[in-house]
Amino acid sequence: MSQKDRTERLLNLLFALMASARPVPKHVLREAIDAYRESPSEEAFERMFERDKDELRSMGVPVETVEGSDGVGGVEGYRVAADAYALPAVDFTADELAVLGLAARVWEQASLGPAAQRAVQKLEALGSGAVVDGPVGIETRIATAEPSFPVLLEAVRTRRVVRFDYRKPGEDAPEPREVQPWGVASRRGHWYLVGHDVARGAARVFRLSRVVGAAAVYGEPGSYDVPEGINVVGMIAASAPRPGALTARIRVASGRAHGLRRRAESTTPDGDGDLLVVPYSDDEAMAADVVGLGAAAVVLEPESLRSAVVRRLRAAAGQGAA
Amino acid sequence: MSSVSRVPDTAATRLSRLLALVPWLTAHEGVTIDEAAAHFDVSPEQLQNDLWLLICTGRPGHMHGDLVDIQFWDEDGRITVLDAQTLDRPLRLSPDEAASLLVALRVLAQVPGPHDRVALAGATSKLETAAGEALAAADGVTVTVDTTRDPAVSEAVTRALAESRRLHLSYVGSLDERTERDVDPMRVLTLEGRTYLEAWCRRAEAVRTFRLDRIERAELLDVAAEVPEDAAPVDLGAGALRPEGAPVTLALAPEVAWIAEENPVDSVTDLGGGRLRVVMPVADERWLVRLLLRVGSSVTVLDRPDVLERVRAEARAALAAYGDDA
Repeated sequence: MSQKDRTERLLNLLFALMASARPVPKHVLREAIDAYRESPSEEAFERMFERDKDELRSMGVPVETVEGSDGVGGVEGYRVAADAYALPAVDFTADELAVLGLAARVWEQASLGPAAQRAVQKLEALGSGAVVDGPVGIETRIATAEPSFPVLLEAVRTRRVVRFDYRKPGEDAPEPREVQPWGVASRRGHWYLVGHDVARGAARVFRLSRVVGAAAVYGEPGSYDVPEGINVVGMIAASAPRPGALTARIRVASGRAHGLRRRAESTTPDGDGDLLVVPYSDDEAMAADVVGLGAAAVVLEPESLRSAVVRRLRAAAGQGAA
Repeated sequence: MSSVSRVPDTAATRLSRLLALVPWLTAHEGVTIDEAAAHFDVSPEQLQNDLWLLICTGRPGHMHGDLVDIQFWDEDGRITVLDAQTLDRPLRLSPDEAASLLVALRVLAQVPGPHDRVALAGATSKLETAAGEALAAADGVTVTVDTTRDPAVSEAVTRALAESRRLHLSYVGSLDERTERDVDPMRVLTLEGRTYLEAWCRRAEAVRTFRLDRIERAELLDVAAEVPEDAAPVDLGAGALRPEGAPVTLALAPEVAWIAEENPVDSVTDLGGGRLRVVMPVADERWLVRLLLRVGSSVTVLDRPDVLERVRAEARAALAAYGDDA
């Protein structure tokens, strides 16, 4: 089947479904469309018809399945209502068209790039003007390098369970996961999936770069509910380390240690440098941050943090057990 | 619209174009084949093939009056839609299409810059209305970007771009050192979840990108920006933020495997047992020394023994500050 034949078949199916307000029974469609009529068997026709229907729906065509009214169930037929088909008329101003041009470039070379181009074609077909593709002093790009992105997006949209192999950093082998996806989100340039981990019976955050191989959807669409009021961004932020309840006093050299200065609760001039009071949550993590600054940052208190830093410095200086 | 390259059509891509083509031609009566081809970013031959395909389709029965009727064989190449059948309006947005533009608009709303806020809000609300049920797909995708928390920095950068004026920046770079410099702004860039000012730096006499959250102070100067004509803007494709510098090869123990996730790397090789070998570009050796002090023996430098000597010297100097004469 060539691309041209398939395009023609889909177009004729669309016309047939829009031709009357009444649902069109499947056997009528089989007679009305050449490619269906000529299919060698009922099974071949069924397969072709199901695929075409899915294809139209994935493009946004609202193909309605009308149940029979005779009480025994079963499908009476299919239709596409003209009102449901058409993009509502919206009139964009010239400035809005420029902003849309900027938005359409955001996914350039990324998974949703072609979708953005098609959206622009449709909006321009409304006739209010052309989406402007010029420079405006700002450019935004969202990358989707992770191969699992399109599958997970689809799973979120259709509320289907998804399976994938997942490998945390430092683990030797990936583990299979089964998740009911609630949403995908990007933070600091990394994509995450948030959802319900079926085996663990709890909400989990997954980083897409740690998905090994292909992710696969399975099961029926709409097979679970997304809990109301979930905060996807909050869940991702909560999965990252945060400042805690401990406090360190650290002397820093003048004009140095700006990362620590930003985290400090207070800054007091002290000799030719400054004395910072910095909240933190874990001696070892904090020691790692301080030790990178070398002699520019010296921990005064607490002793536990001070000795953690000294131990690390001795190891780096090439003495003591590493 | 422009696009990077012409990829072969799938049936869905082509059908999507055909469904947009008919209402677009209806709204632009009398356009030529060349103009329409340029608008849809296809060759004139492809556009003619599309028109031929369209006029062979229509309501079942394909009797006269059931078919799409488009005239396009005039000598001047002009196209007239005589009967669009039921295709006179564009198809509603698919969930992916609605999500692509709406998520992008919502990101643009988070970023300071010279873009028109009123138009941004207007386009967003009109698109949300037009999207209908497809709007739900946009709500399943959340993109947050880091930018400055200082409204004074936001305003100075926005105004400098809008008014083409020079800025004075107090900037803390990745080496944790503050520098003072005058820059002539070019663009605001959002890449890999962070926001940057791209500018001609008068100190470096080169194009530089400044992370907005590392700008401590930005002062709008009463001087017109002068960006040299040959100043090359950053290429926004993959690897835009790759540091310029010689690569270094590191072996990472399992507990520091995050280094390969958090930094641009040229290659990652699995060494087994959760250990990795990474080749990563390093713009400034001092950055590498700091990283090695941080992570201690969890990282082994495989190809740069000289760096290890610097790490030892830094550590000894720091120990002296603790009164520990190692």
